[in-house]
Amino acid sequence: MPYLSIANSTLLYAIGGLIVLFVLIQSALFLRKAWKRGVEMGMDRQKLKATVRSSATFSVVPSIPILLGLIAMAPVLGIPFPWIRLSIIGSVSYELIAAGMGAEALGLEGLSDPGFNSVAFANTMWIMTIGIVWGLMFCVFFLKPYQRRLQNVRKRDAAWGEILIMALFLGLISSFLGPYVITFGIDTLTLISSAVIMMLIGLVIRLTKAKWLTNFALSLSLIAGMALAVLYTHLWG
Amino acid sequence: MKKGTVLSYEDQIHRLGRITGGAALLLLFAVPTAVCVYFNIWPPLQGFLKGLGMVCMIYLPVGLAEALTYTPLLGSGGSYLVFVTGNLTNLKIPCATMAMDAAGVKPGTEEGDVISTIAIAVSSIVTTLIILIGVIALVPLRPVLESPALKPAFDNILPALFGGLGAYWISKQWKLALVPLAVVVLLSIFLHLEMFVLMIIGVPVSILAARLMYKSGWIKGGE
Repeated sequence: MPYLSIANSTLLYAIGGLIVLFVLIQSALFLRKAWKRGVEMGMDRQKLKATVRSSATFSVVPSIPILLGLIAMAPVLGIPFPWIRLSIIGSVSYELIAAGMGAEALGLEGLSDPGFNSVAFANTMWIMTIGIVWGLMFCVFFLKPYQRRLQNVRKRDAAWGEILIMALFLGLISSFLGPYVITFGIDTLTLISSAVIMMLIGLVIRLTKAKWLTNFALSLSLIAGMALAVLYTHLWG
Repeated sequence: MKKGTVLSYEDQIHRLGRITGGAALLLLFAVPTAVCVYFNIWPPLQGFLKGLGMVCMIYLPVGLAEALTYTPLLGSGGSYLVFVTGNLTNLKIPCATMAMDAAGVKPGTEEGDVISTIAIAVSSIVTTLIILIGVIALVPLRPVLESPALKPAFDNILPALFGGLGAYWISKQWKLALVPLAVVVLLSIFLHLEMFVLMIIGVPVSILAARLMYKSGWIKGGE
């Protein structure tokens, strides 16, 4: 049997459907639990609703490139397996690298090697799956004790506990920015433009006291940044 | 809060997280198992082990470092969800951190956990549905997604996202941002390191610098 008919088999589509259903149910369960807890603690319902609205709005645009990753993988790995991998834990950059490793381990040149067959497909599936589970494994076994320890830090010194998390986040943000600061290309320009737009939105929020705008600030700077990237590419690309 | 037989919210979240996380792991491994059993194709042991070695050498430390870094920020509920649904840097981290700030709650508090969990759950549902629609309508959507006009927009989605995110938080916490930003920019200029390597250097440096600033009284909590 040619391997692509395995890769695009009804069996894999059926499992994919099951997994998508699982992800939706799991998200709904957590959503309900957190919502109830928020109401119980006396948090403003409007605030909770605003969180739902802004998170849903923001998530649309960054989800689209995931489909481009799917299109990139489909000729070799079929549609359902990349669909499964991208719906559960995966991210586009990881999947392409891990899939390549699965093929290379069998002595192939990579995903585009004409020798990529059903055995290579099976190997790639295993490698892509095992490579991605570590974060989840950590959560299932160690998240509870880890969070306890962090809580103890906060109990001992609340101010430091808060600064610690902020410092961790800013270290993270710095490392997100690093790779784009030094290329001096369209991406650097896009980064700077999006930053300037965010500052302008911040200014508008401060001047007009339109606090609700904070909910959509990141979506606005993202879309404006992407639009400017198109413009810059036309001008200098 | 009621104690005794009634589990606290924190404990309920851990129970739900462990059950659904365990189920997700089983489902994940069920995919290659089902295909190998059903079609009777098995990769050769040597090739499998070699691939396993390659992928674990990189992604075992990456996965653990990500878990240690992201979970304090996202709280328990959000963490269980993100490590099932993925797409952390490009979706969940920006989404949850902005939602917490807009709601006026801090990461690491119970209110922060509630907002972060709601943000991540909604974000996961939206992303999962968009991918589902994309799979169903791949044929008509493909020319639009791959159109040359939109290509530069999608090629630059990460800098467009991180520029706004960075500006927002760095302007809010510029004292804390000074050291990690300087270190990461210098490392990028001279060594051209990957984002992940920048992260495992940048995060500890940032925490250490914050500790020194806190001890010397230059920064205080509760801002």
